[in-house]
Amino acid sequence: MIPIEVKNLSFQYAKDARKILHNLELTVATGEIVAIVGLSGIGKSTLCYCLSGIIPHVYGGVMEGQVYLNGRDTRDLTLPQIATTLGIVFQNPDNQLFSFTVEDEVAFGPENLCLPPEEIEHRITDALKKVGMSEFRHANPQQLSGGQRQLIALASVLSLQPEILIFDEAMSQIDRDGRKLILDMMLKLKAEGRTIVMIEHDFANLAVADRVLVLKDGHLAPFAGKLS
Amino acid sequence: MSYLDPRTKLVMVLTVSSLAVLITNLYLLILVQIIAVATVTAAGGSILDMLKKLKKFLLIFVVIVFVQSIFTKGGQPLWQVMNFTIISDLGLFRGLQMILRFFIIISSASIMTTSTPREIIQGLVQCKIPYEMAFMVTIAIRFLPILRDEANDILTAIQLRGINLRQIPLLKRLKTYSYLLMPMITSVLLKAQELSIAMELRAFRAYPQRTSLRVLKMQRLDYLVMAVCILVFLIIMVLALKIK
Repeated sequence: MIPIEVKNLSFQYAKDARKILHNLELTVATGEIVAIVGLSGIGKSTLCYCLSGIIPHVYGGVMEGQVYLNGRDTRDLTLPQIATTLGIVFQNPDNQLFSFTVEDEVAFGPENLCLPPEEIEHRITDALKKVGMSEFRHANPQQLSGGQRQLIALASVLSLQPEILIFDEAMSQIDRDGRKLILDMMLKLKAEGRTIVMIEHDFANLAVADRVLVLKDGHLAPFAGKLS
Repeated sequence: MSYLDPRTKLVMVLTVSSLAVLITNLYLLILVQIIAVATVTAAGGSILDMLKKLKKFLLIFVVIVFVQSIFTKGGQPLWQVMNFTIISDLGLFRGLQMILRFFIIISSASIMTTSTPREIIQGLVQCKIPYEMAFMVTIAIRFLPILRDEANDILTAIQLRGINLRQIPLLKRLKTYSYLLMPMITSVLLKAQELSIAMELRAFRAYPQRTSLRVLKMQRLDYLVMAVCILVFLIIMVLALKIK
């Protein structure tokens, strides 16, 4: 089954006269890392929202075409259903982390899925081990560095065991060491067979990608080294 | 006693603060204050922290005494200026009553600080309070320091443009503070939106109920402490009614 399949996707925000995405096509295979680059305000985050079901479930606007996650249209899935298939790591870790300990943060998703405590425990241990943050289990996320906080945000998504991961400019607010941690993590996840879409503005981070696409005028095209 | 269930601590706080509100007798209020301090100490709280909290309210306490004195009719005047009573014995008595009430409520609330926010939330959830509401409390506690820092950053940015807030007149200063509103509201709305999306994409409200990694269990000691709280409440209330 194809993890991500976008067919003829167009989107227009309610208060915008123009379509920000225009007949966009995209297919991402299992275990592939696809990077999407583009100028600011071109619609990269909007595309992220469409892929993750935030559009049309949270944001209003006119959405045409289909987004399929493992063959199922995002319109037919609820956000909690999507959460077990797709996880998203946003730009600012501060707006994703709200618990007082790392353990609580990572437990949040599995608790929402009504998993038994033993399974939650197992998932926390597993997710923290994957991102190499086991020793910070009882720490306050606010006392960690930007890169470490972003890894905790990733662990909290991984605890839901999604097959698809989206990184929406997840490295834009972290230092070089933090970026290296995230990039290494992406390669590890790819090796596990997870599908990754990364939205990027920093070309230095594109080395891990199998394919780089540029978003321009609402379409995706292979990246030829220049944005404009 | 810091290992007491947060629900037990909540009962302790409710008992002491209810007594502070219901009792008018000054001596009984002093007794309740002593009980509050003893309870905080027994629950593992720090008296020093409690005093630090109370210090912040010192000015308010002084104002309360004066306001009570000026607006309380009757009693013997203790300090008069041109036949106008500034402090009377009855006003002073009422002011002390109010201050003691504040003292008791603030110091009893320190009991809750001996539990982690997570334990308190879990306690609330297990008291059948909807978990959405419990999370609202968590998020408010978690984001308040961030909003305070943000307000400070905006104020610093204003001052870096050459406005010295300490030297400008009060009215102008208040107007300058109003410039905080717009960026603060925008920032809060954006944060709230991003946070709600992040939560929804982690299956928040996927089901009407949710499980929890840690489940609180009441011990025998918790039931005993709760019983003692009820007993103390009843004894002091009976004493209060008899003294009346």
